[in-house]
Amino acid sequence: MNAAQIAFEDVVVRYPGSGRNAVDGVSFELHGGELVVLLGPSGCGKSTLLRTVNRLVPLDGGRVVLDGRDVAELDPVELRRSVGYVIQAIGLFAHMSVAQNVAVVPSLLGWTRSQIAQRVDELLALVGLEPPAYRNRRPSQLSGGEAQRVGVARAIAARPRALLMDEPFGAVDVLARTALQRELVRIVRELETTTLFVTHDVDEAFRLADRIVVMRDGRVEQVATPLDLFDRPATPYVRDLVHAGDDVYRSYFVHARELLRTANT
Amino acid sequence: MSISRARALTLIAAAPTLARCTFDRSHVRVGSKNFTESFLIAEIYAQALENAGVPVERLFNLGSTQIAMAAMQRGNIDCYPEYTGTALIDVLHLPPIADSHTAYDVVARLFAQRYGIVWLHPSPMNDSQALATTREIAATLHLATLSDVATAAPHLRLATIQEFLARPDGLPGLQARYGGFRFREIRTYDIALKYRALLENKADVASAFTTDGAIESDRLVILRDDRHLWSAYNVAPLARKAALQARPAIARVLNAVSPAITDEAARSMNAAVENSAADPADVAAAFLKALGGRTNQS
Amino acid sequence: MTYLAAHPARVAALAAAHIELVAVALAAALLVAVPLGLWAARRRNVAPWLLGALGAIYTIPSLALLAVLVEWFGLGYTPIFVALVLYAQFMLARNVVAGINGVDRAQVDAARGLGMSPPQILLRVEFPQALPVLIGGVRIAAIAMISIATLGGYVGGVGLGVLIFNGLTLHQPQMIIAGSLAACALAITVDAALRLAEANTRIS
Repeated sequence: MNAAQIAFEDVVVRYPGSGRNAVDGVSFELHGGELVVLLGPSGCGKSTLLRTVNRLVPLDGGRVVLDGRDVAELDPVELRRSVGYVIQAIGLFAHMSVAQNVAVVPSLLGWTRSQIAQRVDELLALVGLEPPAYRNRRPSQLSGGEAQRVGVARAIAARPRALLMDEPFGAVDVLARTALQRELVRIVRELETTTLFVTHDVDEAFRLADRIVVMRDGRVEQVATPLDLFDRPATPYVRDLVHAGDDVYRSYFVHARELLRTANT
Repeated sequence: MSISRARALTLIAAAPTLARCTFDRSHVRVGSKNFTESFLIAEIYAQALENAGVPVERLFNLGSTQIAMAAMQRGNIDCYPEYTGTALIDVLHLPPIADSHTAYDVVARLFAQRYGIVWLHPSPMNDSQALATTREIAATLHLATLSDVATAAPHLRLATIQEFLARPDGLPGLQARYGGFRFREIRTYDIALKYRALLENKADVASAFTTDGAIESDRLVILRDDRHLWSAYNVAPLARKAALQARPAIARVLNAVSPAITDEAARSMNAAVENSAADPADVAAAFLKALGGRTNQS
Repeated sequence: MTYLAAHPARVAALAAAHIELVAVALAAALLVAVPLGLWAARRRNVAPWLLGALGAIYTIPSLALLAVLVEWFGLGYTPIFVALVLYAQFMLARNVVAGINGVDRAQVDAARGLGMSPPQILLRVEFPQALPVLIGGVRIAAIAMISIATLGGYVGGVGLGVLIFNGLTLHQPQMIIAGSLAACALAITVDAALRLAEANTRIS
C-alpha cells in the first residue's frame, strides 16, 4: 500500500505570548488510505494541528509520526515535497501557467521534462480539466473552482503518500464546491492517498470523511465514523454540533452512505 | 530573464568600476582653476602631453587656489598652472615681488622645500593686476602711469569687481602705495560687464588683469605700475615631484610649451573664448599647432 | 543649440561617459540595496527604521554630500560614484521592500508547504512577482542619478556635468544648454526604456 500512516502522540502547540495552547495534547492515528476530517469551529486548533505534519508549525510537546518516523527528525524541505498541501486561498503562482504550477514539485525533485509533461497532462485530466485547454492558461484566467482543481493537482503531482488540506473549498462557490468534494473523494480513493482534511462545515465533513475528529479549544472531543458521530455523540458539544441545522437530511445522508458502504464490501 | 543571468550582468557591469581604479594610476591628471585663462593654459598643457603620447585625465574647474593646492598635496592631481604672484601672496603669505625672476626663484625654492612641488619653466606671460583706460581718456587726461591716476583720481570714476575692493593688494594696496588718493566714484560690476562700462563712458578707469581678452582691442590701454606695487604673476606648470619622477616626459613636454605663452598669445586666446565663444579645446589646439609650425622652422 | 551643432561628437562622448557612470553606479547600488531590502522586508519592525535612515541620506543636499566625499576620496570619478550609490539606496531599497512584501502571502505559504527552500521561494516566487515594482524603483533611481551625476563636473569627474560647469566658468551659455539638453534627452530615453521593461514584467 502506497499510503502513509500518520500518528499524533500528545501533540502540544503553544500560542506565542498567550497562556492558552493552540493544540493541547492531541493523540490519534490515521490509517493508510483514510480520509480523516478535522472538524471544529475557528480557533479550535485544527489548522494548527494539520500544519504540524509538514512542519509548517513547530511542536512544543509530543510527536508527529509519519510512516514510523518522527517528523522532527526529517529534513523539513524534503518532508514537504513528499506530503501534498492545499490551502483555502489556493495560492497558485500568478506568474506561472497552470502547467508550470502543477509541475512545481516534480521539477524540484528533478524529474525530466518529458516525465513532467506527461504527469501534468495526467493530473489535469484527473482533476477534470482538459489539458489542451488548460495547460497554458494563467491563474488569473481561472474560476475559483478551476483554480482549486489546479491546486489539488499541484499538491499530488509528485505522488505524495499523504495529503493535507486546509479548508480547501472555502473560497469556492457553493455549486462548484459540491462537485469538488465528490471529485476529491474519487481522486484520493483512486490514488490511495492518506488525507487529512480540515473544515468547519459539518456537512462537508459528513460527505467526505471515513472518520471525523471533532476538536474544541485545542482538544479532541471525539474520533468516530460519521455514522457513529451522528448516532452516538460522546459529549453534549458533539451532539449539538452534528444535530445542528438540517439534521433530518443529514441523518438520511449518513445512513444511506452507510448502507452503500456495507453493500460494497 | 533568469535571476542568475541578471546577476552575471550586474558583475559585468561592475567591472568598469574596478577597471577604473587601476585606470587612474596610469594617466597624468591635469587640473585647472575656475576661470578662463587657467582653463586655457591647463588645456594647452593637457593637449601638449597627449600629443606626446602621454595619457591625460582632466580635472578642470577646481574652485580656487586652496582647492587646487590641496588636490596637489593629496595627490589627486599631478600638475596644474599657477601664478608666481598667487603662490607668493595667497599660499606663502609673503609680500608681493614685482620682478618676475626674483618672484619665480623664491616660490620655486620654497615650494620644493615645503611641499615637494616643482615649478617647471615659467611663461613670459604676466597676468598681473592693472588699471586700464581708453586711448581717448589717456590722451585727454594725460594718463600713462598709476601715479598719473593717483593725481587725477578726484575726477575719475572707477569700474571694478568686488574682489578688487577686498584684496589687500587691490584698491587698499593701490591707495597705500600711491599716496592715499580717492576716486570720485567707484562702481562694482560683474566681471564680464566691467569693460563695457569703460567703453560706454560710464567709467574712466577700470581694474583689470593684463592678459584680459578685452584689452586686445585697440581701444584700451594698460597704465604702467611705476611704483611697482603689483607682483609679477607669471604662470608656470606646477608638478608633483613623484609624478615627474614616474614620468619624466611631463617636464620635457611642458618646458617646451611654457616659454611660448606670451602676453599677446594669452590675450588673444582669452578673447577668442570670452568674446567669440570659441571652445577652449579648439583654441588650445590652434596655439599648439602654430607652435609646432614655429619650432619646425627654427 | 549652436554648441550642440558645432561639437556633436564631444557632446556624444560626454553623454556616453555620463550614462556609463550612472549605469555602473546603479549596478553597484543594486548590489547593496537588494540584499539590504530583502533583509528589511523579512523584518517588519526593522524596515521603517532602515528606510528612514536611507531617506535621511537622500535629503542631504547633493553638493554638501559631495564635498564630504571629496574630503575622503579626493577628486575625480570616485566621490561622484559613491554619492550616486548612496543616493540610489533609498529609492531602490524602498521598492525592494514594497515589492517583496507585496507578494501574495498565500502564494508564499503554498510555496513553503510544497517544499521550496527559502532561497527557492525567493527566486521562483517572490522575485518574479516583485520585479515590476523593483524595475519601477530602478527607473526612478536612474532618472535622479542622471541629474545628480551632473555635479561630477564640479569635482573633476566625467560626463555632461563637465560641459555644464565649464560653460559656467567660461561664461558660455551654449555649453550649459548643450549639457542640459543632452542630460534631459538621456533621462527621457532611460525613463521610456524602463517603463517598457516594467510593463513587460507585469503579471497579467
